[in-house]
Amino acid sequence: MKKYNITVNGNTYEVEVEEVGSAPSAPRAAAPAPQAAPAPQAAAPKAAPAPQAAAPAGSGSVTAPMPGTVLDVKVAVGDTVSNGDVLLILEAMKMENEIMAAQDGKVISVNAAKGASVNSGDVLVVIG
Amino acid sequence: MPVNKLEDLRKRKEKIFAGGGEKRIKSQHDKGKLTARERIALLFDEGTFVELDAFVTHRTTNFGMGEVEAPAEGVITGYGQVDGRVVFAYAQDFTVIGGSLGEMHANKIVKVLDNALKVGAPVVGLNDSGGARIQEAVDALSGYGKIFFRNTIASGVIPQITAIMGPCAGGAVYSPAITDFVFMVDKTSQMFITGPQVIETVTGEKVTAEELGGAMTHNRTSGVAHFMSPTDEETIQEIRRLLDYLPSNNMEDPPQFDPGDDINRLVEELDNIIPDNSNKPYDMHDIIRHLVDQGEFMEYQQYFAPNILTVFARINGSTVGIVANQPKVLAGTLDVNASDKAGRFIRTCDAFNIPLLNIVDVPGFLPGVTQEYDGIIRHGAKMLYAYSEATVPKVTLIVRKAYGGAYLAMCSKDLGADLVLAWPTAEIAVMGPQGAANIIFRKEITEADDPVEMRKKKIDDYTAEFATPYKAAERGFVDDVIEPSTTRQRLVDAFNLLESKREERPSKKHGNIPL
Repeated sequence: MKKYNITVNGNTYEVEVEEVGSAPSAPRAAAPAPQAAPAPQAAAPKAAPAPQAAAPAGSGSVTAPMPGTVLDVKVAVGDTVSNGDVLLILEAMKMENEIMAAQDGKVISVNAAKGASVNSGDVLVVIG
Repeated sequence: MPVNKLEDLRKRKEKIFAGGGEKRIKSQHDKGKLTARERIALLFDEGTFVELDAFVTHRTTNFGMGEVEAPAEGVITGYGQVDGRVVFAYAQDFTVIGGSLGEMHANKIVKVLDNALKVGAPVVGLNDSGGARIQEAVDALSGYGKIFFRNTIASGVIPQITAIMGPCAGGAVYSPAITDFVFMVDKTSQMFITGPQVIETVTGEKVTAEELGGAMTHNRTSGVAHFMSPTDEETIQEIRRLLDYLPSNNMEDPPQFDPGDDINRLVEELDNIIPDNSNKPYDMHDIIRHLVDQGEFMEYQQYFAPNILTVFARINGSTVGIVANQPKVLAGTLDVNASDKAGRFIRTCDAFNIPLLNIVDVPGFLPGVTQEYDGIIRHGAKMLYAYSEATVPKVTLIVRKAYGGAYLAMCSKDLGADLVLAWPTAEIAVMGPQGAANIIFRKEITEADDPVEMRKKKIDDYTAEFATPYKAAERGFVDDVIEPSTTRQRLVDAFNLLESKREERPSKKHGNIPL
């Protein structure tokens, strides 16, 4: 059994930790749990930005090839598009790049608005 | 001569020509593939193929191999003519023990490579093999090793072309990889180091053979292959077409053709091909098509790193290698893959006395964490190295953007361009007007009553002053600013002038290109 003092937002919590694998007295390990509870509060803010980056790039996703600014969005949700149609204009590297559909289908979502700054790999439009 | 001796010879040859027999030949055809002999017949001018080593046979007795007959030892080898020029070839025969490579099979290929190197003729390898002949153990491995070694020794001396026309797995992939050009047939050819089953066992990833190592995968994603065609017939036609752009060896020039096109042709369309707004993309293929003989060219690695174009074409009947930025893709930036593609192409051209035309419209290197982590410094360096090292005629045509390090990387005057021409639309500067104005005029802009207006004014000032070809021309970095419509005339003249160019490099074992 090891004892730690953990300070979260100025409050100090006394935490006991037992290594379950090697300790013969496993049942006792349950006791410290309530004391440890406040810890997730501190961890929460750090974890928050993750969902933004988590937008999955599926098969119908059109992603930004370069970091840049969306100059114009040419399609709306529900539009039917064909392979090669211009979906939006991305200004990057001194160029108004035409971002085109790589497949036929319907626009399921448009994730970038006019004027938005995007990073390479960000999902701009999803076609299904 | 006694008739029975002749009869005997004919019978022996007949048996060898039958390959793996009717059943296996049918199975080959059912897969949409031609047999090795049919491929050889398509590759060479009619009636010119001379076969060598048809009687060679393996000498393994392990695992019952003593009883196994392998006509021509599973690979047809020899030489013949392609458009009247000598070319050596080998074609693996999948109908004979799966085209597997053993000691004697490898020796036949080795002989072809040795002879081709001796006489200075190109080699074409048509691969269709299940891999090493396992019964022959380390003798088979040794066979691969001998081929790799000769591919390397012959590299830069004779053009080496490989077509993958069936499976090509494991160690077998490295002979094609060392050669200059790799063709693949769509849907019927695959290349990989470890196949789908092994990958699934080891990493749990499920992938089909086609996804893993099909023609499109290696043409678009990995950059292992340079060309692809839908069928065996078209692949072999494309190989013949490529050979017409290449010399027989490094001591010769590529064959000269009748241009079939006016060398003084004025191309009015070029005066308006660059959009008024310098931030608008266009298709670089259009410029190339207008400049070269009959608008005809052959694109190398068409699907890989399409932000840079590398093509073989002819100007005034002579082969040129063209390296051109493609503003339509990734704004024409240079990234890791584009640098690798161009670097290799430049060295291929230099090795085989093919003059280079560099058409520049490049905003810079592609920014990003991934690019830096992937080593854009190391890869970009290959282009600078390859251009500096090249001693063939180098003509650079700046049509629009030429910014920063990327301007240098596209064969600027300082990397040894013999002639640099620019269109009036050229913008040659350290960086773009917006970025430059923010840095140079930061103080004026922040202190102005209307910073937005001041910024715009400063950008306009900078654009007028620096985003032109004239600053570079004042220093002699650009030899001439020309009217776009006269470009073809000027290129014909430039390559004509440079035909007698002689440039020496210090003698050394070899340079040390960043890899």
